[in-house]
Amino acid sequence: MARWGMVFSLARCIGCNACVVACKTENRLPDDIYFTRTFVEEVGTFPEVRRVYIPTLCNHCEDAPCEKACPSGATYTRDDGIVMVDQDRCIGCSACAVACPYDARSMIEEPNDNRGLFGGAEAPPAEPDAVDRWRAGTVVKCDFCSRRVDRGLSPACVAVCPTEARIFGDLDDPESAPSRLVRTRNGAPPLPEKNTKPKVFYIDY
Amino acid sequence: MTGPAMVGDSFRLGYRFQRHWDIAMASAFFFGELGAGLFVVAMISPSWPVLVLGLLITGIGKPWFHLTHMGVPRKSWRAILRPDRSWTSRGLLGIVVFTGAGVLYAGAVATKGLVPLGEVWRVVAFLAALVVMTYQGFAMSHSTAIAIWSTALMPVASLLYALAGGTALMLVIDGLGLAPPPFPNFAVMGLGVAGALLVLQASLLHAAYNGTPGAKLSASLLLRGRYAPAYLGLVLGAGTVLPLVALGIDADGLAGRLVAAVGLLGGFYAFRVLIFKVGVYEPVMRFGGIGTPR
Repeated sequence: MARWGMVFSLARCIGCNACVVACKTENRLPDDIYFTRTFVEEVGTFPEVRRVYIPTLCNHCEDAPCEKACPSGATYTRDDGIVMVDQDRCIGCSACAVACPYDARSMIEEPNDNRGLFGGAEAPPAEPDAVDRWRAGTVVKCDFCSRRVDRGLSPACVAVCPTEARIFGDLDDPESAPSRLVRTRNGAPPLPEKNTKPKVFYIDY
Repeated sequence: MTGPAMVGDSFRLGYRFQRHWDIAMASAFFFGELGAGLFVVAMISPSWPVLVLGLLITGIGKPWFHLTHMGVPRKSWRAILRPDRSWTSRGLLGIVVFTGAGVLYAGAVATKGLVPLGEVWRVVAFLAALVVMTYQGFAMSHSTAIAIWSTALMPVASLLYALAGGTALMLVIDGLGLAPPPFPNFAVMGLGVAGALLVLQASLLHAAYNGTPGAKLSASLLLRGRYAPAYLGLVLGAGTVLPLVALGIDADGLAGRLVAAVGLLGGFYAFRVLIFKVGVYEPVMRFGGIGTPR
């Protein structure tokens, strides 16, 4: 069984946000809900200033605090390491959301639950199975596009990244691209002091 | 570069306010702790109407506001399913046991022993009340996400505020002559909890200022930011100093007790709201750290 993870190359990310649009389209996310974001930050002082782009999403932590906080058992980890939310079991208490150090969870609220990316009822033509996926009053988050992964595809954000700044693969396979990058480029997880053991790493070429 | 700032919901790197637990959740915490605190204070010298009042405050007030907050209220029963890992589940179980054993204990007190096993229900209700009085603090301190919550002082705060709330109500009930005081010179307990709350707030601020940058930011929001007037005026002023002064001047009079009770309860509620308001997520990355320019 694979253990899925992702590596972000900060040097490669150009902040085009194609990943953000692909994610919203793939998951048919309503207004104000993002499973992935690309943060931007200006660093340095004039004249030595540059912009850094920092992609973020759910880190699918090994020791997921959201799973521990969930009182209903709605949050669970699949055998392949993807942290999921079962919408049938979620009661919308938000205990998971305040437990996630990465602020990676959002509440789907009416009337946003079924408005979709463009505010209408129709699904994007590419992904008709995303219709009615979200239920009002439940907490949602990135699931590494588990439906795509189960079909042997990479997550939508990875598939569209024009600079290959997002590298997805099996962290248990020492020869997979993310494993090699983490090993050879000193891949580091976000907020390691939180001890959540993320399966997402950042590298700087 | 000045470092990350509050960035709201933007695509900037920085601190973000937690927005998931709101006034309804603060109210649920408040009523849960208040009712259990009153019940425990009333257990010292049992008076069944006061015991029932405590049960009603926790048994109705807390679930009402929780259901208001809940995204899918009809499935709320599911919150009881994971006591092995979730403090929310443990707390809900505690509330069920507390109300059940509490009703039987109040019944035993009211009927002067006609309800069997009165002593057993007393012990069970007391232990469950302790769970209700503290689990919310454990749920908050268990989360490393919100730095100012991630301290062992949170369960202590829950316990102390629960006792303070129960003491405040009991001061008024006793002052109005509706029930006998738990012990002579009961106003001393009001002075004690108000003083303890002052020490608690100082300890919370000290821990936050010596903690992570997120905890420092939260503490500075309480003392100098937009929430400073409410924190300094209500939590510290009305919630600790006012009761000390009021009870110091007029411990046995109804006026002094009313002022102290209003101050304690106002400070209690304000603390519950503000500790949610100033909770922040820290930036997912610190510059000079992983993979970023130094």
